[in-house]
Amino acid sequence: MPPYPREVSQQLHSEARETAAVPGYPGPYAVGRYANRLREWMRERARVCLIGEVTGVRIGAGPNVYFELRDADGAMPCAMWRTDFDRLGLHADELRDGVEVVAAGGPDFYPGSASASPRFAFRVQELRLAGEGDLLARLARLRRQLATEGLFEPQKELRRPLLPRRIGVVTAEGSAARRDFLAGLERRSWRGTLVWGYAPVQDRRAAPAIAAAIRDLAAYARVDAIVVTRGGGSIADLWAFCDETLCRTVALTPVPVISAVGHDVDRTLIDDVAALCCSTPTHAAEAAVGIDCEAAERALRSAAVDVHAAGRRAVVTRARELAGRSRAPREHLARHRSRLHQLARELRAAAGRGRATRVDYQRRIAAAVMGRKAEAARVDAARQAAGLTARAAALDRAARGVSERRAAWLARSGAALRGHDPERTLERGYALALDGAGEPLTEPGAVRRAGRFDLRLAGGTVPARVRNSVDPDQADQGRRVEGIQGMPRPEEADMRRYGAALKEEV
Amino acid sequence: MSTEAMTYESAVERLEQIIARLDSNQAGLRETLELCGEGKSLIEFAAGELEAVGQGLEELRLDELIKRLEADTPPAG
Repeated sequence: MPPYPREVSQQLHSEARETAAVPGYPGPYAVGRYANRLREWMRERARVCLIGEVTGVRIGAGPNVYFELRDADGAMPCAMWRTDFDRLGLHADELRDGVEVVAAGGPDFYPGSASASPRFAFRVQELRLAGEGDLLARLARLRRQLATEGLFEPQKELRRPLLPRRIGVVTAEGSAARRDFLAGLERRSWRGTLVWGYAPVQDRRAAPAIAAAIRDLAAYARVDAIVVTRGGGSIADLWAFCDETLCRTVALTPVPVISAVGHDVDRTLIDDVAALCCSTPTHAAEAAVGIDCEAAERALRSAAVDVHAAGRRAVVTRARELAGRSRAPREHLARHRSRLHQLARELRAAAGRGRATRVDYQRRIAAAVMGRKAEAARVDAARQAAGLTARAAALDRAARGVSERRAAWLARSGAALRGHDPERTLERGYALALDGAGEPLTEPGAVRRAGRFDLRLAGGTVPARVRNSVDPDQADQGRRVEGIQGMPRPEEADMRRYGAALKEEV
Repeated sequence: MSTEAMTYESAVERLEQIIARLDSNQAGLRETLELCGEGKSLIEFAAGELEAVGQGLEELRLDELIKRLEADTPPAG
């Protein structure tokens, strides 16, 4: 591409000096003439109106007023003759940075000189502050464009927490909007964490700064909601919030953005793309915190009471119901228990009566039986006594018989014994020889050997002595004298022992 | 509903459902006790959320916060 417009090159072509040129490029041309021709060419361009934000205003003592017009897509240096500017009747402070203006004119070029630098500028011949009509027309075009792209919906699909813990706020530091927003939060009794993203809210720097703050709040601050707010103003004052780039940023932010720019009558483009549009900063605060925290605490305490009461009521009601239902069987049991106790008492009473009756009956039976047994015993005793008497009598009789028979036997035995008694023999004149020991001397030899002996006679004993020897026959006669002298009478002793034994037996 | 997924509004909404159910007197004893238990948990959660935004307003500046975060972030590489 040639470095200058084609028309300028063609005009200068004929004037090219005959000097060495660069192959493929015409010329070389004198720069001053080229610059002048370029200015002429530019001044031949069509006159147009531009709209943009004023920045870099320089109104000095020189013949020109300089400023720039900017918008999101580009900028244009502007110059206006001071005479033209003064003719407009604008106050010096009306043309200030940040205002939207409509400038009419065309491109111009100052070719400079040997000591002055060239300068391109849009030569402004007419200038007026941008009216609502101008801005609203631009706004309408942008709104249609963003709506067509569907950028109004993403934010509205995000969930906005009723009770955010952290809120990001984009506003001007020290602004009235900041105070109003804090007042709105106080009305909600919200005392969480606020992250202030301070940014200019009215000039060409506002939109990029606001967009950057929104991006940073969403990326770093872990906020639950973002509020973008500023106070009221004209549409020109609020124009930063109609910035296309800012609105696209808001639309694509993953955190819900609440806009509160201007007042009810002002509707900027950010209001369309935001999740919620509020009329004032106070309203935005109340929208960001969806509940009155103190009222919510009271409601929560009430709910806690309700839940506790409901649980208690459920238990108590059912307990009473159960108690009511259990009363019937309990009363039934009580009736049966009472009846049972009554029966038990009656049973004990009846048992007592029956026992007494039985005792009396048994006592009477026992008395009768014992009477009969006693009578029988008496009869038996009498019978046995009688038997014993009879037996005693029999024994007496037997004893007497025995005694009599023994006495008779003794009498007979005595008589027989007395027939053999030596005393009887002695009584008939016989004598009995006895030695010194009283032993009878039965043969004559014994008498001679004894020498001295006793001679027992019927009337007593007489000492004797052997004077001569005698024949053995004489000795035999002497032996017959001794014999039964001194024997007791056995019949009497036997009778006494027998009689005593018989008495003991009876 | 897990605590992680729970939000204040979801907790309050569920709590209102529970109270409406309890007030209807149609819940059985077991359901009532379960609802009461769930309700108490929800109340505790919601009270915790309210307490978190009731202790005192804390104000941070975004630019300072970013600087602090950048200072805390170790350099790459």
